[in-house]
Amino acid sequence: MTAPPPSPSARVQLAAVFRKEVRQTIRDRRVMFLLMVAPLIQTVVLGFAVDFEVDRVPAVVVDRDGSAESREHARRLLADGTLRRVGAVASVAAAEEELDDGRAAAAVVLPEGMAADLAAGRPAEVQVILDGTDPNRANVAGGAVARYFGEEGEELARARLEAAGVRPPSQIEIVPRVAFNPSLRTPPYMIPGIAAMLLLIVTTIVTAMGLSREREMGTLEQVLVTPIRPLLLLVGKMAPFVVIGFVDVMLLMGAGAWIFGVPLRGNPAVLVTGTILYLMTTLGMGLLISTVSSSQQQSFLGGFLFALPAILLSGVMTPIRSMPDWLQAVTLANPVRYYAEVMRTTLMRGGGFADLWPQLLALLLLGGAILATATLRFRKRHA
Amino acid sequence: MRERLRKALVRIGGMAAKETLHIRRDPRTLYLALGMPVLMLFLFGYGVSFDVDRVPIAVADLDRTESSRALVDALTASREMVSIGAASPGEAERLFRSGAALAVLVVPEGYARDVATGKRTRVQLLVDGADAVIANQLLAKADGLVRAETRRLAGPGLAGREPPLQVKVWTRYNPGARSALFMVPGLAAYLLAIGAVLLTALTVAGEWERGSMEQLFASPVGRLQIVLGKLLPYLVLGMLQLLLVLAFGVVAFDLPIRGDVALVFLVGLFFLVGMLGQGLLISVVAKNQLVATQAGALSAMLPSLLLSGMLVPIQNMPVPLQLLSRIVPARYLVQALRGVLLKGNGLDVLWPELAALAAFAVVILGIATARFQRRLA
Repeated sequence: MTAPPPSPSARVQLAAVFRKEVRQTIRDRRVMFLLMVAPLIQTVVLGFAVDFEVDRVPAVVVDRDGSAESREHARRLLADGTLRRVGAVASVAAAEEELDDGRAAAAVVLPEGMAADLAAGRPAEVQVILDGTDPNRANVAGGAVARYFGEEGEELARARLEAAGVRPPSQIEIVPRVAFNPSLRTPPYMIPGIAAMLLLIVTTIVTAMGLSREREMGTLEQVLVTPIRPLLLLVGKMAPFVVIGFVDVMLLMGAGAWIFGVPLRGNPAVLVTGTILYLMTTLGMGLLISTVSSSQQQSFLGGFLFALPAILLSGVMTPIRSMPDWLQAVTLANPVRYYAEVMRTTLMRGGGFADLWPQLLALLLLGGAILATATLRFRKRHA
Repeated sequence: MRERLRKALVRIGGMAAKETLHIRRDPRTLYLALGMPVLMLFLFGYGVSFDVDRVPIAVADLDRTESSRALVDALTASREMVSIGAASPGEAERLFRSGAALAVLVVPEGYARDVATGKRTRVQLLVDGADAVIANQLLAKADGLVRAETRRLAGPGLAGREPPLQVKVWTRYNPGARSALFMVPGLAAYLLAIGAVLLTALTVAGEWERGSMEQLFASPVGRLQIVLGKLLPYLVLGMLQLLLVLAFGVVAFDLPIRGDVALVFLVGLFFLVGMLGQGLLISVVAKNQLVATQAGALSAMLPSLLLSGMLVPIQNMPVPLQLLSRIVPARYLVQALRGVLLKGNGLDVLWPELAALAAFAVVILGIATARFQRRLA
């Protein structure tokens, strides 16, 4: 009677699983395309599409005064580019119709007798009608008109005081200086966030669906009856995705730097550490979802149910500070939030380990907890 | 002729019944498909806003006079900005670098003197531009507050009189500027796109993967009938999602329905048919659920989110993307939903959107069925 041959060492097992997984992943060219090239295309398209800076708001002018002065006001108001003239109509009713039909989003009504009133020192009232469906756009458009006429009004008031021989009061001026992103462009800010988002979608959903698929086809059972330990199997399964995730990050950062001028001001080691820890959480989440799903369809929906709120509550799209307190508390358990902070601070603000250790620690804790839960559930299910 | 039609309808009904059984067997998928819209609406409606709120700023008051304190108070009394401590410029700089403060206000020495003598005075505001959205709003807000402070300092000489030029702003459709009213129609489009494209793509790809599609082909049910039967239950599911989203929007966020409800569902129907066709096309090409999901995410989810005008106005995009957005059906749905719900538009205004959705549906269903017929033929 012979003793069963000893199991191969952990290293050999791991290498075998890794080899199998890599082959399986790169065999399907379409999957590789979707994992490597698709995120790149998306980043470029999104980088161009997402621009929260509001300008060129279509506007109509109702010049009921028709004087040289009112025409000059309309011209100068439109000159700063926030509003774009799409037409001039004769009456307020016609302007409202333009708004109803969506041809214009703002209407500026210059009152009758405006020039005469101003010359005579009587107050004149300019009316702005806004399409409020997009509050942000309405806000910016209304602000631009209010600012223009506010400045004009102040100038006029000053001139009148001086003419009356009164010394005009002091004027306080704000001198803005914008650090890190002086021209306030959206892409350098959005691209790191988009990278965090795409990495989540790619890794979590692909892992969850991949495992469910193997379970559906029965190949998972076949691998589990081999002497390979489940833990090593999981590690080996995730390893190719860590590599793919890394390549994705590098591709995205490269495209970001080259096309959109995203800087890398901080320590690259922080970025690498952050990426590894983040991939631990996203892959772990994919694993966890697959252990509670019975089909690929469920895995996909489960991955989605995790990914969407995680993206929304990450601060990538909208500031976390604007959320209500209880929701801000929820974001503390969101890995995307920490990774987005790591990316933005390293790239834009030039942060290092000293600035980002709390975020990295949070990612480590979250990743450890998620992976431990997922492994336990996996072992229980396939014991 | 009538007999053939009856037979076809029976077969389509049979396919639809089979598919419904699939959906009912797997209630978790159903819960996820119906629970997701509610969760998303909830998060979007309550959690997501672009408004700047309680931004921490560091103050370096080098003047330390009553007037300088009044200016600092004027700036930080608003909800938008919160002072996290007066400090030396060096200390403020450190807070700014570490990200604890998003802006630094520097009031120069001699501020009070300049104000008293009527000179032009400058205060400095250093803003963290890494988040361009916050930075822009902060600059605009600070500008307004300082202007108000100028007027207050001017005293009765200027403030007492009426300003010569006044601006009256009148916001229509959404006077409260509530983000939820803006988001719900967009969100409806997004959720419908995800549900319809991905669920169809997955269910049909699943049949290919398991080989059960060949079995269906071997039955007397025609190809077109298989397609219609498989898509019908998802069309119903999509309409249910739309109803759910609207009902939730009305109940939780007071979403107005100023136009015709029937028009909302008509537009939704046209949109859904197109999305189901897209899902079908993806599944025929992909044959595999994993590839189908990623292709669906790439071709439906992201364009619906970013090129539809749901979050970012289309007019702000570069021209090539504006053109690209013309073939994104979600764009027309978002526009039509906002038109009907918020503006009360009717068919007279929205017919181009409806026509575009119909055109998309016809073209994509045509391609999908053609490819479907060719497979295995």
